[in-house]
Amino acid sequence: MPDGSILIVDDDAFVRTLLRDMLANQGYVLVEAENGRAALDRQGPPPNLVLLDLLMPQMSGMEALGQIRDRWPSARVLVITSMDSERLLEEAMQAGASGYITKPFHPVEIASAVERALAA
Amino acid sequence: MAEYWIGDADGRVLGPVSLDVVQDLVNTGRLTQITRASRDGQSWGPPNAYPEVMALLLNAPPPEALLQSERQEAARVRDQLRTMQGRPPHEIFRLDRNASVDAYRNAFFKLVKRFYPDRVRAQAHPDLRKAYADAFQFLSRLMVHIERELDAGVPVSPLPTIRAVPPPPPLEDEPLTPVPTPTPLLKTRPMSVVPRRPTPLPRPGPGVPPPHHGRYSYQPHEFVGFERLDDRVEVTIRVTARNSGMFTEHPLANLKSGGFFLACGKSLPLGTLVDVVFRFDSERREVRSRGRVIVENTGGDPHKPHGFGVRFITLVEQDRSFMQQFVERAALAQP
Repeated sequence: MPDGSILIVDDDAFVRTLLRDMLANQGYVLVEAENGRAALDRQGPPPNLVLLDLLMPQMSGMEALGQIRDRWPSARVLVITSMDSERLLEEAMQAGASGYITKPFHPVEIASAVERALAA
Repeated sequence: MAEYWIGDADGRVLGPVSLDVVQDLVNTGRLTQITRASRDGQSWGPPNAYPEVMALLLNAPPPEALLQSERQEAARVRDQLRTMQGRPPHEIFRLDRNASVDAYRNAFFKLVKRFYPDRVRAQAHPDLRKAYADAFQFLSRLMVHIERELDAGVPVSPLPTIRAVPPPPPLEDEPLTPVPTPTPLLKTRPMSVVPRRPTPLPRPGPGVPPPHHGRYSYQPHEFVGFERLDDRVEVTIRVTARNSGMFTEHPLANLKSGGFFLACGKSLPLGTLVDVVFRFDSERREVRSRGRVIVENTGGDPHKPHGFGVRFITLVEQDRSFMQQFVERAALAQP
């Protein structure tokens, strides 16, 4: 059984629910936040992995990414985006993302990416 | 590197990103509405307060140029599809001949995503939409074929090819009778939903499976049409108080989350474009919408109902309110 806590950050409640549903049976502790600000305001131990949308209100994913890396250096960050731009993803990786998943995604793909990121 | 924050009409923000990223997104039609911009993420102004951003918007390729480039892209995708057809699957996915099913799955997801229908912008050239749909379907069918062969312990063989461009997969079980006979009008129907005469309600025949006795209470014969078109499936559903659970019972695909779940003997692949007509006969009203399949259960999980869930892409607010009220009335009417 995999071990780890995952923070899901996406302004779309539907996507959060979808991700939660996909990962619910895999033994992870799942926490949600609706934007970057809410993610960083969260109290408690650092997550092992953050699934981070890039386009969000209040604080964008890219902005949150830098602050997450500062605040929780051990946390891995997987960027999730529907904006399929190589340049954007390159910049996200340069800003500290461990990897990315482009929407739409498949449950098997999410499970596999999460497992790889946590094992890295 | 210069950094920019870009805001859209929904109040969402992208940034900091370089101007190159903004240009990339604008030029590919993925970013069409910039309502505000910023250089520090704090102070914001209209796009025209940032000449370099405004220049990108003004110099965005005209619609005709985008369409032309999409036609060329469609031709490239068709060439690529022709190249893939008939080749050994491990070569298509650039894997070892004896690759595991997991290796195939990983490679499949990477490759198929390039042709995912949602990657095409809403106003894209129909050729590109079709080319992507064909490639997506070919790869999806190939992956099913690979999994079957590996499950059976036999070497993976190429997917048998019948035509140069594979047709949509056959509809397996068809409890949703009758399937309307295709007419020339249907064959040449444009991409948008076109009103049609209501189809007479079918009666459950001997081929209709028994009613679903789980949480999902509606029965197959309550569907009045299920038709696969080139790039999508058109579903017509007669909604009654008794089957209104399709809007409420599934935790992910329900009216509050902007969708519905159709428990039936059929499952559509994730991502399938669905044009749906809900017939509220008791209210003498039809609601039309377009959506995509976001949940599917092909029977692999016996604890969940067989069927598929759709999330609406287009649903007029007035129609949504009407459906919500219908659901509430139906709940009150339940014994």
